[in-house]
Amino acid sequence: MSAGLVLVLVVAGAWLAAHVAFDWLARRFLIVSGAEYLLLGILVGPYVSNLVSPSVVSGFAPFMVLTLGWTGAVIGTQFHLPTLLRVRAHYYRTAFLEALLTLVVVGAVMTAAFIVQFDLAPAVAMVPGVTLGAIGASSSLWGIALITRRLTHRAAIVRQLEVAAAVDAFVGITAFGLLLCLVHEAPPRAARPPTATEWVAIALGIGAVGGALFHLFLRGERKPDRLYIALIGALTLASGAAAQLRLSPLLPTMLIGAILVNTSRNPETIRRALGNVQRPLYFVLLVFAGAAWRPSREAWVLPVLLFLSIRTAAKMGGADLAARLGGMWHTLGPDWGRALLGQGRLAIAIALDYLIMGEPLPNVVFTATVASVLLTDLASARLVASVVHQYRERRAARPIAHEMPQGAPVVEPGH
Amino acid sequence: MGRVLILVLLLGAMRLIAPLASVGEGSETLLAFGFLILAAYTVGELAAGLRVPKIVGYLAAGVLFGPSALGAVSHESVVALGAIGQLAIALIAFLAGAELRWHEVRERGVTLLKLTTVELGLTFAVLTGLVYALHPYIPGLGSGPPAEALAFALLFGSIAVVHSPSVTMGMLSETGASGPVARTTLGVVLVADVVVVLLFSAAAAVARTLVPLEAAGGGASVAGLVWEILGALLVGAALGGGVSLYLRFVGRELFLFALLAAFLGAEIARLAHVETLLTLLTAGFVTENLTRHPARDALRHAMERSAAPVFVVFFALSGAKIDLAAVAGVILLVLPLVLVRAGSINAGMRLGARWAGVTGAEARLSWMGLVSQAGVAIGLASIVADSFPHLGPPLRTLMLGLVAVNETVGPLLFRRALAAGGELQAGEATGEWESAGERRGAAAH
Repeated sequence: MSAGLVLVLVVAGAWLAAHVAFDWLARRFLIVSGAEYLLLGILVGPYVSNLVSPSVVSGFAPFMVLTLGWTGAVIGTQFHLPTLLRVRAHYYRTAFLEALLTLVVVGAVMTAAFIVQFDLAPAVAMVPGVTLGAIGASSSLWGIALITRRLTHRAAIVRQLEVAAAVDAFVGITAFGLLLCLVHEAPPRAARPPTATEWVAIALGIGAVGGALFHLFLRGERKPDRLYIALIGALTLASGAAAQLRLSPLLPTMLIGAILVNTSRNPETIRRALGNVQRPLYFVLLVFAGAAWRPSREAWVLPVLLFLSIRTAAKMGGADLAARLGGMWHTLGPDWGRALLGQGRLAIAIALDYLIMGEPLPNVVFTATVASVLLTDLASARLVASVVHQYRERRAARPIAHEMPQGAPVVEPGH
Repeated sequence: MGRVLILVLLLGAMRLIAPLASVGEGSETLLAFGFLILAAYTVGELAAGLRVPKIVGYLAAGVLFGPSALGAVSHESVVALGAIGQLAIALIAFLAGAELRWHEVRERGVTLLKLTTVELGLTFAVLTGLVYALHPYIPGLGSGPPAEALAFALLFGSIAVVHSPSVTMGMLSETGASGPVARTTLGVVLVADVVVVLLFSAAAAVARTLVPLEAAGGGASVAGLVWEILGALLVGAALGGGVSLYLRFVGRELFLFALLAAFLGAEIARLAHVETLLTLLTAGFVTENLTRHPARDALRHAMERSAAPVFVVFFALSGAKIDLAAVAGVILLVLPLVLVRAGSINAGMRLGARWAGVTGAEARLSWMGLVSQAGVAIGLASIVADSFPHLGPPLRTLMLGLVAVNETVGPLLFRRALAAGGELQAGEATGEWESAGERRGAAAH
């Protein structure tokens, strides 16, 4: 079967599955749509039905890279400085502490586990370990968005969850992007291979220089259709450049998204232009991520179970500790981290990027991520709802000082 | 000018990182794809500032940055991006079909058929005769037997009459024109697209009998030809029905759905060995005429939106495929062919208009919209190159030269015709271009 037809059939199937069945389920039972696409991808992939062969999956690698770049840019548009400045500092402090604690704990434990189980050198084991740390730090905003839409009052917990999810994304993308720079192989045609620091500079340079140039390029553009065409060009170019250098497209395009949204006179137009195609691209990304999944030849059960449990523990414990250190414990309560357990687009994007790069233990990392997304995505909205419910009960019992004013800025779900 | 400078800087950056590149799966293609979009967009804007159709700008960008000039986009990348062309043609055909209303087909079908028959017949006869007369001067053909020259002339004539649905639709989308000149041009282009399939197949069959040792297959039997046309109608109608059902019962995520429907149509057509353009044209027509008003417009808007970047790259790729050196080698032969072809189209349309009783601007001006040529002609020339190993290569080179000139001059002429017919929108006339999608969006608001 031809690659094009396979793509069409796969996405068409995913489409109907999502819109006929899961959309209704999402509304009725608070199930976040997403995992079903992943599952569909696995079912049609080479290791279940073989409807999509490995060559077809690798043939669409450029498209997957573009989807990763688009995801990075959409996440970057959340970092609109004037909006961010309206949120109090202790929200960020708590969010950064929670994200970094999760990253460090998951990264360290998984690295140690890989050293022990696969007899890898620490420098090698660190790569999949820290990648899982970055994936573990990320959390899904869809559940939060679904619950927020039902609320008439914007509570402090909702604000904290939105900030935490955005910071989780930032930490996850940055950690993974920098990791790939640190372990970068020497390019075959280079007279002198760049050092790790130089790779970091190149990755950030693609984002910063690209962002500045694309800002100038798009500056005078008012028409949505033209802006959209130019954005496609800009993000394709940046993603292609990063992929050609074996760097993660997520980091440079996140920078580009942030620069564009902060330098544009009309950030909402940029956000809308990127957001319009965000959903369809996400579906395709999930389907191909599912199709790209391969059962690992390594003993994967233990690392996957370890990742799931250590991530849950790190998120819950990290959030609790961060709230205490950030002076938000009385507001957020002991287990607000439960609302951040849901994983979705960004986790899949990082895992897929890792898989494309072919770094050590790609299938273990990917399987762990797929398992985490499948398990948590369906429940993420319910987890958020339970945390918000507990917050309300506490608030009813005792009024809380850190309440957000009505009409506080809303961060759109980006991952 | 700022954008040109940025483009130069981006090109410099691409060259700078090239030594650090790893051999990745298609990352170079992605890089080329992104650069081509920005380059075509920039040159298209420059062209619009000079009152030249943007399509010409996209083509010029393709030529300038393509493998035969600056080489920013390699030949391998052009080949790898071939799927974009397939998608673009599918979108173009679907949108073209969606422009047709049943009542209009009933009212104007005979008129369009008369116009097309005379225009195509006259152009084919004149060009075939001219190429036969010029055959001693054609590189690679030279002093072959007369039968070979006649086969060459027939094949060349059957391809040279081809118009460009993509340029026509692209221009109509760009200008928003929908008056008599625009609709007559579009109608003739669409009808001609079907007739050309028959003409080309017949010419190939005759050529095979004239030079039996030369032909290496690739021709079509009568049954195959009938299936190619009727099958396209059947497959297209089924696809259109499916799209209509989707719009009625699901009707969401139209942006991605539009792309998928076009892609699916093209793939099914290829697998079923039916004519792709006709399949998608029928699908667009059936969808347009079966679906109710708001859903229909929403799909068309989504399709125009998703098609916008695809069109930009498609036309830029068409430009990138032009081999400047090969065109330069045959330019002295190409120029008289271009002039004679344009003259024949003009005469054919005037005669056809007289026969069909058409008067006014559409009788005088519509021929100018029929000069453009692009992907279909190149595709047919490639088929000949594969099927006739000796005749094919010189024919392909000559055809590429003809297409290169016509695809540059054609949009300029068409725009002029639309302006003379008073069919350009106010914004377009002042260079303030809006896509059809934007106009519809603005109207909806």
